[in-house]
Amino acid sequence: MPDVETRTRAADAASEAPALALRDVGVVFGAEANRPVLANISLDVREGEFLSIVGPSGCGKTTLLRLLAGLMKPTTGDVLFEGKRVDGPSRARAIVFQDYANALLPWRTVAGNIALPLERAGLSKPEREARVAALVAKMGLDAAANRYPAQLSGGMQQRVQIARCLAQKPRVMLMDEPFGALDALTRQTLQDELLALAAEQRVTTVFITHDLEEAIYLGDRVIALAANPGRVVETIDVGLPKPRNQLTTREDPAFLARRHRLFGLLQGH
Amino acid sequence: MSRTLNALPPLLFAAAALLAWWLVTEFRLVSPVFLPTPARTFDELAGRFADGSIWTSLFATLARMILGWLLASLAGVALGAAIGLTPLARDLLSPTLEFLRPLPASAMIPVAILFFGLSEQMAVFVIAFGSIWPVLMSSVFGFGHVSPRLREVSAALGLTKWEFLGKIATPSAMPDIVAGMRSGLAVSLILAVVTEMQASLPGLGRDIFLAQRSFRGTELYAGLIMLGVIGVAINHGLGLAERRLLRWRARDA
Repeated sequence: MPDVETRTRAADAASEAPALALRDVGVVFGAEANRPVLANISLDVREGEFLSIVGPSGCGKTTLLRLLAGLMKPTTGDVLFEGKRVDGPSRARAIVFQDYANALLPWRTVAGNIALPLERAGLSKPEREARVAALVAKMGLDAAANRYPAQLSGGMQQRVQIARCLAQKPRVMLMDEPFGALDALTRQTLQDELLALAAEQRVTTVFITHDLEEAIYLGDRVIALAANPGRVVETIDVGLPKPRNQLTTREDPAFLARRHRLFGLLQGH
Repeated sequence: MSRTLNALPPLLFAAAALLAWWLVTEFRLVSPVFLPTPARTFDELAGRFADGSIWTSLFATLARMILGWLLASLAGVALGAAIGLTPLARDLLSPTLEFLRPLPASAMIPVAILFFGLSEQMAVFVIAFGSIWPVLMSSVFGFGHVSPRLREVSAALGLTKWEFLGKIATPSAMPDIVAGMRSGLAVSLILAVVTEMQASLPGLGRDIFLAQRSFRGTELYAGLIMLGVIGVAINHGLGLAERRLLRWRARDA
């Protein structure tokens, strides 16, 4: 089982360093480097945790995720993955984009999209097909395996993108408002599926959202960002029991207390 | 079902055009030397099929045209990918291409004759020169407009440059490439005919040219009808290929 091997390797690294870390990171945009987007951000993402990052639009959430992915470099400071400086994207850190429609290859079927990361992994065709079939089943995409993305609903398309990420066996999953464009019911279903997956795969997850309740419902911890420039204003341990439940968790007084606190913080800035 | 219904009015229009042709010739509104009757024209065509003489011309024209078009498509897509994907190639090649592009392909015929003589190579060169532009231009656009999101997906998955080219950029540019190749094919038919007339190479173009010179009206129009049929057949074939190649674009299948 490669899973076990991956986990032990990650666990070894975790004993010395957090899965991901930002050290005094600043990002400045603009021709004269005059638009600070993120300022003095320092944070750790612990091995195996589910970290939500919440903040108003324009607070640099997406920029932060792109830094962690290695899709861009910070102007100042360091981004570390398992203790080593990030200098580009890596298959160990999968990204789930919000705009699933653009992130899938429209000319490949569902199965073809999920197979994409496996084509380089040195797998034989039967092995690859078996892995794809397993992921298709896990994400409830059986009926859609041979359809093209344009033929699927938004929720199904996002499932395909998550399955494609899982196919690359990442140690970290970076998610940029993945459910932001979905309707409320689909969103709740996918939230619960994601929690189950993250627990089962023990994959470290960073989840960006502008939805406070979603951040608390999913997260082990929530980091709140404020805008202009983007900075950390608060880190809270959620501390609600798992598995979470769409009804009871959201009615839990502790849940409501966290929500009040974050709401007040984000309003205050 | 609506497709069959929609096919009726165009067929009626074509029949009306034939009828008009027949009326014009029947009442001698135009001299039969310039415009023979439809019946005589189709007789001529049937005769050329019966004695097999048309196949030689047809294959000569088709072979020349398709060879020139394929070369143009290969070169156009390769150049288009280079220009669309790499700023270096764009800066290096664009000025020269912008100079060459407005040159009428027929103006290249004398140059091609200088280099290749009155030969097949000359014709293929001219056809390729003329039909490369639509493919090249649309390939540049297609490869230049791969969505930034897909570039990031490619980077996140650690795809190599060649994997990006084969698995992301080329399929992404394919609708533009196919559209360009369709326009290129129309140009290649024109130039196949023009080069045949200029260099007296065997083919439908030369047949038409010689028929006109010797006032063989029926032969002239028979040749024109064949060219029209080629155009329709090829466009239809490409349409089918396009639908197969780009079937992922259909919303329901």
